[in-house]
Amino acid sequence: MSQFVENPAHLSKFRLKSDLVAHDVALPPSKSKKEVYVGLHLQHIGQKNAVDFSSDEEDQVQDVSDKEEDTEMPDPSGLTDDDLKAALLELGVKAGPIVASTRALYEKKLRKLLQSNGHGCLNGVEKGVLYSDSEEEEENGEEEDKELGSEGEKEETVKQSDQAQQGSSQFPSGSQSVMPDGESSMSSQAFSITRMVEEMESRRSLSTSSDTEIELNGSNVQKHWSRSNRLDMPIVDTMKNQSLYYTPKASPYKWKMKLTQEPVKDTFKDMFPNTDATTTGIYATRRRPIKGAAGRPVQYAYPDTPVSPTTLEKREVERRLVPIQIQILVFLIVMCLLYLIYVCVEDNSFGPSVALLDSLYQGSDSEEGLLLQAETQDVPALSGQE
Amino acid sequence: MSSTSQKHRDFVAEPMGEKPVMALAGIGEVLGKRLEEKGFDKAYVVLGQFLVLKKDEELFRDWLKDTCGANVKQQGDCYGCLKEWCDAFL
Repeated sequence: MSQFVENPAHLSKFRLKSDLVAHDVALPPSKSKKEVYVGLHLQHIGQKNAVDFSSDEEDQVQDVSDKEEDTEMPDPSGLTDDDLKAALLELGVKAGPIVASTRALYEKKLRKLLQSNGHGCLNGVEKGVLYSDSEEEEENGEEEDKELGSEGEKEETVKQSDQAQQGSSQFPSGSQSVMPDGESSMSSQAFSITRMVEEMESRRSLSTSSDTEIELNGSNVQKHWSRSNRLDMPIVDTMKNQSLYYTPKASPYKWKMKLTQEPVKDTFKDMFPNTDATTTGIYATRRRPIKGAAGRPVQYAYPDTPVSPTTLEKREVERRLVPIQIQILVFLIVMCLLYLIYVCVEDNSFGPSVALLDSLYQGSDSEEGLLLQAETQDVPALSGQE
Repeated sequence: MSSTSQKHRDFVAEPMGEKPVMALAGIGEVLGKRLEEKGFDKAYVVLGQFLVLKKDEELFRDWLKDTCGANVKQQGDCYGCLKEWCDAFL
């Protein structure tokens, strides 16, 4: 990319920015003036004055393509909140408030939309620019293996797999029929793709690191995609064959859009590698029981699904607890009654005991009858004692 | 109707009040910790983010993925849980 930078001051601000990113230079604040970028560019990348005169024409072509990009505002992070909102509106997205927490998301969305637009607009320019030898290919490893059969649309899938390989082994910078001139237009894509690929890399490094010798053609790329995608996207294998020709950024969204209609199949597949994270008791096998199947009566209107054995036990215990309390209460009442009776009997005073007994036993009309009976009994008892 | 988890039903049954972020469907211990580290320590803070994103599914899913690394299923559970809660109480 940089060998065609003859005079940074002639480049667009966006181009300078992407060059800096490609060379791992820390970017100045997004609203800095162009001179800052030019200074940094000169400082780190240096000025190569007319190394290849023959590349002048191509250089101009690059600038033209840059200017074409600039009209689309391809640098979401350099926009103000209002500009970002306006840009999204132009592309048909009605954005909500752009605050600190939402800004990153809207930038990502804008980039994705620009990429999908950029593919349509800039492919002609890219293919028009012919390949030539490139000197500084190490840093731009993502674009190195384009020769291996991918151009234009496929370049990003190649970049993706290349980035993974880059982590393990660096590619030789020789023998490429790369289109470095297309880098200017692809730098915008590279800018976002590098970020994406970094994310993918970080996830891959966590899961698998055995992708050292991936060939870009055929099944290996598919496997690569399957591994990387299984991390966070439930994608059926058959879809990946088609996905090779999509941009990695656009395709996940497309897949997600398609998959929203089929949550069952995909979540099922997705759950297996991710059972560790979910502790909500959701099990793939437990679904709504079929009516009367296997002798299971239909008990509840709700599907009787994700109930672990422990919760079942708890519920049963709870059902029993209430009766137990009632039983205890009844027992205590009976005990009190018996204690009172015992105390009264011990006193050997039948008057109060009889009164107590009467008050305890009866509240009905027969109370008088009992009193009479008690009195008659008392009299012979008292007389007996005497 | 797709099957909902008990956690989902529990969350949607009442106003969330001061429930922790782990009470959300799809958010377990690991994800809950990550969210808390980012400052989303209560469910209502995540609700706030959900509302600021205008209840847009795609944006909210992306945000969840970026913030705590939720997979698609977890994203979907959380989104569905919040959406239903909003339908009921908001």
